[in-house]
Amino acid sequence: MLGLFGALDLGARALQTQRQGVEVAGQNLANVNNPAYARQRLVLQSSNALLTGIGAQGTGVESVAIQQVRDALLDRQIQGETGVTGFLDAQEQALRDAQTALGEQLDGTSATGSTGSSLSSSLSGLFSTFQGLATAPASLPERQALIAAAEQLATRFNQVDARLNTLDQNLNSSLKSDIDSANALLKSIADLNRQVSSAEISGGGTANDLRDTRQQKIEELAKLVNIDTAADTNGTVSISVSGNLLVEGQNLTDTLRTVDPGNGRLLVQTAGGSALTLTSGHAQGIIATRDGDLAALRSDLNTLAGSLITGVNQIHRAGYDLQGQTGADLFVGSNASNIAVNPVLAGDPRRVQAAGVAGATGDNQVALALAAAGTEPQPALGGMSFNQQFGQTVNNLGRALASAKDSAGSQELLSNMLGRQRDSISGVSIDEEMTDLVKYQKAFEASARLVATISEMLQEIINLKR
Amino acid sequence: MRVAANTFPDSIVRQLQQLASRQGALQTQVATGQRVTLPEDDPAAMNQVLNLQTDIRSRTQYQRNITTLDESSTAAYGAMRGLKKISDRAQEIAVLADGTKSPEELRTYGLELAELIKQGVQFANARYNGEFLFGGTRSDAAPFATTAGPDGRVSAVTYQGNTAVREVEIGANTRVNGSVPGAGNSGAGPGGLITDTTSGADFFAHLVSLQEHLLAGNTGAIASTDRPALQRDEENLLSRIAGVGVLQARLETASSSEADQVASAGRSVTELAGADLASTLVRLNETQTAFQAALQSGAKLMGQSLMDYLR
Repeated sequence: MLGLFGALDLGARALQTQRQGVEVAGQNLANVNNPAYARQRLVLQSSNALLTGIGAQGTGVESVAIQQVRDALLDRQIQGETGVTGFLDAQEQALRDAQTALGEQLDGTSATGSTGSSLSSSLSGLFSTFQGLATAPASLPERQALIAAAEQLATRFNQVDARLNTLDQNLNSSLKSDIDSANALLKSIADLNRQVSSAEISGGGTANDLRDTRQQKIEELAKLVNIDTAADTNGTVSISVSGNLLVEGQNLTDTLRTVDPGNGRLLVQTAGGSALTLTSGHAQGIIATRDGDLAALRSDLNTLAGSLITGVNQIHRAGYDLQGQTGADLFVGSNASNIAVNPVLAGDPRRVQAAGVAGATGDNQVALALAAAGTEPQPALGGMSFNQQFGQTVNNLGRALASAKDSAGSQELLSNMLGRQRDSISGVSIDEEMTDLVKYQKAFEASARLVATISEMLQEIINLKR
Repeated sequence: MRVAANTFPDSIVRQLQQLASRQGALQTQVATGQRVTLPEDDPAAMNQVLNLQTDIRSRTQYQRNITTLDESSTAAYGAMRGLKKISDRAQEIAVLADGTKSPEELRTYGLELAELIKQGVQFANARYNGEFLFGGTRSDAAPFATTAGPDGRVSAVTYQGNTAVREVEIGANTRVNGSVPGAGNSGAGPGGLITDTTSGADFFAHLVSLQEHLLAGNTGAIASTDRPALQRDEENLLSRIAGVGVLQARLETASSSEADQVASAGRSVTELAGADLASTLVRLNETQTAFQAALQSGAKLMGQSLMDYLR
């Protein structure tokens, strides 16, 4: 039997429990817009019963835990997909930047249908001016037009190569930034491990808010590099990247760093020097795109520029200029970065060697051969013409970007779906919390009424003495 | 499924972003009339369009070549007509200069012929766009040089050009002879305008011969030698003039063909990269309606809460 004082205790415990319920609802409402937050709930249970002559008698209610509502499996799934999202985002952005650098855009309002400054229009423009020169080989304006077209083409190659080079450098900077952020996150996770462990040992409960923050940091880290996590019994989470343990319990055992293998293309390894094989995450997206599609793009452009220089020079060298001189190259350089018009010819268009025989300024055999080279299959380009090879290069980049865009779109749908699933479990519902608030408020009022009733009963007993 | 407080706002934001992005893409298609603008839009179509654009530029250049060639052949035709007139007058004089004419009259004809020779050399040294028209591919110097005889008369005309002909491309793998050389001395290849071994023409030499015979009053030689020779020159000239006519007709046909090809390639570009305006506008309208519906329903949903009913 509880007695009046026991019943008073029961009322007090009930008041305290309902107040805690209101507090938890308040905490949930306060964090409604915190993306890292998982809703919490107060776990109640009946307090220990007393054995009486008529059986076990209840002693009210007590709160045993504040539990966060999370699905660990879903968290792990989101963590994995976040890495894929990071990879695809990096890939799409890098390829989009490359597309901008290439500068190929169709313009329906222009006469030729493409922007006048594009590499494709400059390339076909050069062979058109060879045709023009073949029609009037001694004409100085045609020669000037040819030199201008050749300079424009060389400049386009130089510009595109410089832009792609800048893109490479930017990707390296972005990779460094990712690794710096990853190291900061690793340190932060190790710190949070320490705080969680300490809070849970001393408090005896679960450090929900610290765990929320840690989970957020883990997902941020997973977006940058592929990670494996392992929960330890003391509440800490160990982090490893490609089999290298970086956070073990409360300790940051190793960090990441970027290294230049000698070709300017940074790679990632542990500060301890272990090579890493990244499989997902923003960092790997950068590396894979830079060393894959973008490297192929630059290689294709260099091959095209090199073949153009060799092919055109080979024909041009055999011709004769207006003064009967021979043996000069039209282009100097060897690739997209250094292709330029021979300064001797650029300074004096009469030196363009259009004639096939000496002393015949009206001869156009070499100009005709140069014009024909534009459509001839080039062995160095796998049997494609210059324009076909460039078209193929644009096609390859377009396909890579379209594919990356599609993959990123599908991945976004998947991430959104997982996010909605997690929200449905862990997200705070204002309506639900308001209902809880009313529920606990009413229970609190009822418990207060119980205390008041016991108080009145006690007063009645005291009054018996008078 | 349980719905959290931010499920609706997050979904609405995502949906609005998607719809706005789709509206932007469709609006760009409507404004530019193009379905494909960047390689990512349709890589295969972009590749084909780039090839077609190269084709269009190439054919546009062929059209420019045809125009240039047409202009130079018109200039050549003008010079040839001048030479033809000189040939006509020379033949007329050769007929008039018979035994009925006095030595004084024959000498007057001789002096007229001396002027005709000088004028003929001027025609034969005609230029277009800085190049001598009848010097073969040696077009930077006057192809016909005169040797002055007594009294300033022309005693000989020497050809200094070559017998090569410049071929010009007026279409894919289609080349035409873009010039007529002053001389065709090999007996093969293109015929010469003034001298031609095949036809036996040597216009200036025959004019000089007629001039000398007139001044000498040798009407017999005129009748037996000069008249038939000038007839051969005339036929050669007519043949070359006809050749120019044929070339101009061919150029006109080629120009028309290239224009058709350019138009056809342009249509292919439009088919590959152009936007179907009607369907694009319908889709834009649908997207705008969806955007408005999303805004309206979103605003309504986000504005409702249990708090509206709790006092």
